Amino acid sequence: MHELLLYGQVPLARHEQVLKILAGVAAMQPRRVRERRIIYKPTKQPEEPGAHLSRRGGTQNVAGKPVKQIGTKDLFYQHLVQKLSDNDFGHDNGRPLSAEVKPGQEPKWSLEFYDLLDTGDRGVSIRQTSSISLLSGNPHAWMVAAGPHQFVSEYYIEGHRFVHGNVVIFLHRILHEPGVRSLETAPKTHPPPFAALQPLDPSGAYILEAKVRVHDFNQTTVLDNAVREIAAFQDQMKGCVELALPDRLALDPRVKWKSPNPPSAMRPR
Amino acid sequence: MSTTNADTDVTLRAWPAPNKEALTMQDLLAQVSQLATERGHLRDVTEQSLQHEIEASKHDLGLIADDSEQQDKDKPEEQLMKEKLEEIHLARIEMLKKLEFAAFHAGNAMNLVNLCLSRDPTKNLESAYTPMFKGFNIPRGSFGVDKGISLEESGRAEDITLHEDLQKRHEVVVKGSKMEALDWSTNSLLKAATELEKEVRKETKYWEEILSISGKGWSLQRTRGNTRNAPYAVHYGLPEANSRFKSRALAPLRMNKNGGIILDPNLRLKPKTLRVRIMENEQIVGTSHLPAQEELNKHDIEHSIQLSRDSLFEEELFYEMSMETRQLLGYGVELRDSTIHIATPTVIGQASQRKILIDCIDRDDQLGLQPNQPQNWLAQNIAEVLRLLLAHEHRMRLYRRSQVPPPMVDHGRQQSSPRLLRTLLAMFSHLDAVDSLHAYIHAAVKTLNSAGLDVAVEASRESLWVKLTDNIKNSENTDISATDQILQAFVKAFDATASITLPLSGVQQESIVIATRTYIGQPVFGSEHKLTLPPSLAKVLTLEPDQPRQFKFSSTRDAASYLDWILALYVAHDFLANEYSGRSSKRSEDPRLIILSKGSGKGRVKEDEIVIELDKGELKAKITSNAQSDTEAIRDSHTWNGAQAQPSLKDKVKSWIG
Repeated sequence: MHELLLYGQVPLARHEQVLKILAGVAAMQPRRVRERRIIYKPTKQPEEPGAHLSRRGGTQNVAGKPVKQIGTKDLFYQHLVQKLSDNDFGHDNGRPLSAEVKPGQEPKWSLEFYDLLDTGDRGVSIRQTSSISLLSGNPHAWMVAAGPHQFVSEYYIEGHRFVHGNVVIFLHRILHEPGVRSLETAPKTHPPPFAALQPLDPSGAYILEAKVRVHDFNQTTVLDNAVREIAAFQDQMKGCVELALPDRLALDPRVKWKSPNPPSAMRPR
Repeated sequence: MSTTNADTDVTLRAWPAPNKEALTMQDLLAQVSQLATERGHLRDVTEQSLQHEIEASKHDLGLIADDSEQQDKDKPEEQLMKEKLEEIHLARIEMLKKLEFAAFHAGNAMNLVNLCLSRDPTKNLESAYTPMFKGFNIPRGSFGVDKGISLEESGRAEDITLHEDLQKRHEVVVKGSKMEALDWSTNSLLKAATELEKEVRKETKYWEEILSISGKGWSLQRTRGNTRNAPYAVHYGLPEANSRFKSRALAPLRMNKNGGIILDPNLRLKPKTLRVRIMENEQIVGTSHLPAQEELNKHDIEHSIQLSRDSLFEEELFYEMSMETRQLLGYGVELRDSTIHIATPTVIGQASQRKILIDCIDRDDQLGLQPNQPQNWLAQNIAEVLRLLLAHEHRMRLYRRSQVPPPMVDHGRQQSSPRLLRTLLAMFSHLDAVDSLHAYIHAAVKTLNSAGLDVAVEASRESLWVKLTDNIKNSENTDISATDQILQAFVKAFDATASITLPLSGVQQESIVIATRTYIGQPVFGSEHKLTLPPSLAKVLTLEPDQPRQFKFSSTRDAASYLDWILALYVAHDFLANEYSGRSSKRSEDPRLIILSKGSGKGRVKEDEIVIELDKGELKAKITSNAQSDTEAIRDSHTWNGAQAQPSLKDKVKSWIG
């Protein structure tokens, strides 16, 4: 699956207005979305370029991790996304993290993988993504065991989502819990009260993300339609929010690998 | 005569005369012709006349000569000379004067022509003017230049009075025209004021009406292009309607001369309404009535907007249903003369053929005719259900639209048409199938009970309806309203269950479960009964344990007859066989049981065959003897039909066998 993306910025003062304009454009009421995103970093050593070719009878791969097969030599940060509702904030019931959902319910946890942005120039950023829903178990324990991964940090996203044809419009901002995060080694079992969260950008500005998902990147007609649709939305929003391509390397999800020679420097946290 | 210095010494001398004596013939003839022209024909020239002429000319010359000679004689030579010079001077002056005069007039004429021509700006004639005329600096192309003294400057008394007079008159004229101008401006101001007042009144009225429309909850929007007479338009259509009807949902609110709102042609269309009629045996027995509506002023704009909205909705409803009829031909639905005919399944035991007719008619046509018909309630309910379903479909469209769309693929997602008639048909079909089956089951169970068998039944018409309220109460889906959750239960497939609990030979009770599923579409296309047998009953049927114990019947009659058979078989092969265990034997797959008992004679074994029949809720037991012989002699029989106070089957059989 590929995503076509455009980003724009909305200052806090204009947030309300843009929300109303978007409601008119999409002809629907905004849907409030709150998410927690936990970032994991793989701790294993990246393979040498071409190392996977010389391997014979490789059964060492961890099963059930199709995302790892995408990059052959690069290692990527992984996101664990938890969908939250207002009731989830600030209620510590002491239970560990659990992705358990009843049958028929929407899964709450998912593992998201984002590739580096495509180098093609179509006026939109395109990247490959994959999303795996987790239906049971402790997501953090699973993430640490599979990989192996190391917890990096967690942050929260609050915003509103609209759907306009195939364009998913997400007006959101990033929140974080103020304090020393580098001491944490595991995600909080329960999110703090919502009021305790602060926007990462102190001005409180919002990000407008326009996204079209395409199943098959190689089908040019579908891709053209998708590009046309997102460009039409970009055009429609002209004068309200300027949607633009982000810098390709600013959204680089790859892990910068440092040689573990000074072992003390390898693990800063 | 020298030719070199011609200017210095010129000799004035007469031209040498021609040699008169030697006249050539030609000269002579020329002279003759000249003389002829001078004196007439030669014939008239006589010597005498010539003599006369000479005489006369001599006399004239003599007179002149005499005169001058006399004057000359009076004056001396010097004076004469002086006089002559003076005379010459005078003549010269005279000549110069005349020349100047001529030159002046020629110049004038030249100036005139130039002036005339100077109208043409392309011609440059400045140099052609006389210098004096040039000095006047007369503009090009002008005529009538006058140079005089103005009245004010002239000092003459009459001019002064004339001037004063003129000035007085001028003042009067100024005053008059000033008054006229003032008059005109007051008039135009007044006119502007009235115009403004009219405009204000017009605008006020327009805005009042707009406000009253908006106050009633209609959504107003600016018209595109901002038309002068219609700055606003009312949007009365439903936002999720079919695109074919969406475009009709807008009517501009035009202003008329008085500021009132002119009804748009869209709003003036005859409102339509859906009519449902029930026809039994070619007779209309029920008609739906108009939806209830608060009484509004007939000419109110809100009223017509509301009517248009309703009409649009009903038209869309009818359109969607007519589209749906195309795939429902197999279910007895057809569109004939813009009326949808639906043949409802005939209920068992009801001979009459019932049909539902749905059409879209002018709203006004239906008013007034409201006969009290027995099936009005049914028709009305059907109409309401159809409306509810379309409204539900609209809300679900919004719901589906606001979900995160799946990734784009090359084949577009097809939009399913709303299930309106299908829901109606499924409901009829389901209720028909379930009710007739349950009626049968209840009758059979009652009969079995009266025959002393401990059989219980539990049945529900629709499993989802039973726990509908609980489902909604516990629902975690906040995006769909409770109304839509209820309606969703009706659009889905219907499931009914009935279970007949039998006291089986085993320890626990087991039950036959009959599940009825109805869906117009994949995979059942109607109603279907699925019968699941308990494992112990499968033993009666001598089924292998791995054989499926489920049987599907598409008609209620088949299911009922199978149930008859299986229950009779149960009674014969399980219930009675249990009672006479060790003494009974089954000889066939039919519900017959042979019971051995001691005969009258010693050592003789009597064989009695009990035949159980279950048909249409009646249980019949027969006892025949001599099972081996072909001729079956019915010794006795008994029929249970559910009536109370009957001997139980057990007792009866015991009494027969002894």
